[in-house]
Amino acid sequence: MISPTIQFGLETEIGISSDAEGEVDVVSESIALVRSATEPGVWMCWDYDCEDPHVDMRGFRVHELRQDTDEANYYAQDAARELSFVEIKSDLVLGNGARFYNDHAHPEYCTPECRTFDELVAHDRAGERILMACARHLSEQRGVAVRLYKNNTDFCGHSYGCHENYLLPRSLPWETLAQGIQAFLVTRQIFAGSGKFAIETEDKYVSPGFQISQRSDFFCELQSVDTMQRRPIVNTRDEPHANPKRFRRFHVILGDANMSPFATRLKVGSTALILEALVLDPKRTYPLLADPLGALTSISRDPKFRWEVALEGGHTATALAVQQSYLSAVRDTCDLSVPAKAALVADWESVLADLATDVMRCRNRLDWVAKMGLVHDFQRAQNLPDGDPWLQSLDLEYHRLDMSEGLYYGLEQSGAIRGVPDELVVRRAVTQPPTTRATVRGKCIQKFAACVTAAQWDHITLQGRDGPIKISLVDLFSPEEVLRCSRAIDAARSPDDLRILS
Amino acid sequence: MPDQSQKNRPVAPSGPGGGGEGPSAPKVDKPNVDELLKRMRKVDPDQARRYRQRTGQ
Repeated sequence: MISPTIQFGLETEIGISSDAEGEVDVVSESIALVRSATEPGVWMCWDYDCEDPHVDMRGFRVHELRQDTDEANYYAQDAARELSFVEIKSDLVLGNGARFYNDHAHPEYCTPECRTFDELVAHDRAGERILMACARHLSEQRGVAVRLYKNNTDFCGHSYGCHENYLLPRSLPWETLAQGIQAFLVTRQIFAGSGKFAIETEDKYVSPGFQISQRSDFFCELQSVDTMQRRPIVNTRDEPHANPKRFRRFHVILGDANMSPFATRLKVGSTALILEALVLDPKRTYPLLADPLGALTSISRDPKFRWEVALEGGHTATALAVQQSYLSAVRDTCDLSVPAKAALVADWESVLADLATDVMRCRNRLDWVAKMGLVHDFQRAQNLPDGDPWLQSLDLEYHRLDMSEGLYYGLEQSGAIRGVPDELVVRRAVTQPPTTRATVRGKCIQKFAACVTAAQWDHITLQGRDGPIKISLVDLFSPEEVLRCSRAIDAARSPDDLRILS
Repeated sequence: MPDQSQKNRPVAPSGPGGGGEGPSAPKVDKPNVDELLKRMRKVDPDQARRYRQRTGQ
């Protein structure tokens, strides 16, 4: 059977603070940060008309999201800013096909759609470089340092996400997908977690203590369409941003933001391969957790890293064993003649083996182990108690995006981290789109930015001499078609020459 | 910008080639983080207390 089209991207909300005196207005800071962007792009043309986050994969539309009330309150507060909705969002669509904007109170960088794991990692890192360029620019303007953190919490119960998006064939029934992948998502934190020196719950700090995941404290539903309150393990939002008859977008909201590119690659790559296995063999059975929500926190908070979980039917297993089951499914089902997939599977297997032997073997690849090892080294050297608030400050500093200050980047520069992409590749991704339909979006912006009147993931509209030219991207997923469109844009002398693509 | 990634290639051997012969665990030495520990001493112990964000998605 032919491997299905599975493409992916990340949308990462960033924490922001400032060295200025007094309380930080995070909304104002976020807007100012986005508006400090110097990369060429198209401003405030994002097409919100076709977005509807209320549509549910289970075949209905909810009347309201739990966050609607909060959002209405935020918008009421933001009304005092004398900025329109579009001005508050400050959407910027970049020449690399990415979207960068103020989402509520966080700068959010959405990578363009990627086809390979290398593309994904490069574009995730490119987002870090773009954000830091904005922070430097804003800091220079103000004479006060603006700090950015790629993490998921303020240690006081306020979490923000790093969401993953996977495009896959609609032919895979929703229930098969949701049931089949649940135990994988709950247990993958053993390699995808970023680690946290705090126990929290929604809107509240609970106690000190180390756990392997930043986000696992914030989930209390199995499935739902919500993303801000009562978050679900499996998000049911049905917004494919593609032909809805052919595709689904699987929107994963429970993952941590990773600093380690190895962890980013393994998180997205293993999830993409599980989805491929589900499409290719939907009848295969996978482990079922007796209490998925309980397992999410018990795995994350287990101080012994044994990660025992109860399965349906009364058996017990470990998160490692559950992951081994999924790895076996990928080995049995997916086309691993593709070198990048084979390498991903080898890395996955190697990490599971090392975690089983001694978790510290993974401190050169996984965020939670690298952070825990570094902070514990410091704790021992300074003789700090477990509840010392300095540990949380160091945890935060691990995620700082400033390459000369952030602790993760300090580890990377000391040679302690594996799987770091060539910086030249990352720099290229700052300006150039990947080999997907993002090429059309990116090249139109590079070449005809002044004529772009609307952009969305699945279309872009330019103003031509004889009226608007809307280029649909809803079915543009074959590499050959992308190349044909790319050549047409290269050859175009004006937007009117793109009418052949509309 | 110097190409840090090339200079800082892993000290540990890379993973197996995916030939199905099973994983070989990398020998991971403890990284030399003495300089980084000095940098960590300069981190404000109270910065996390002041770091407050709104709930996001």
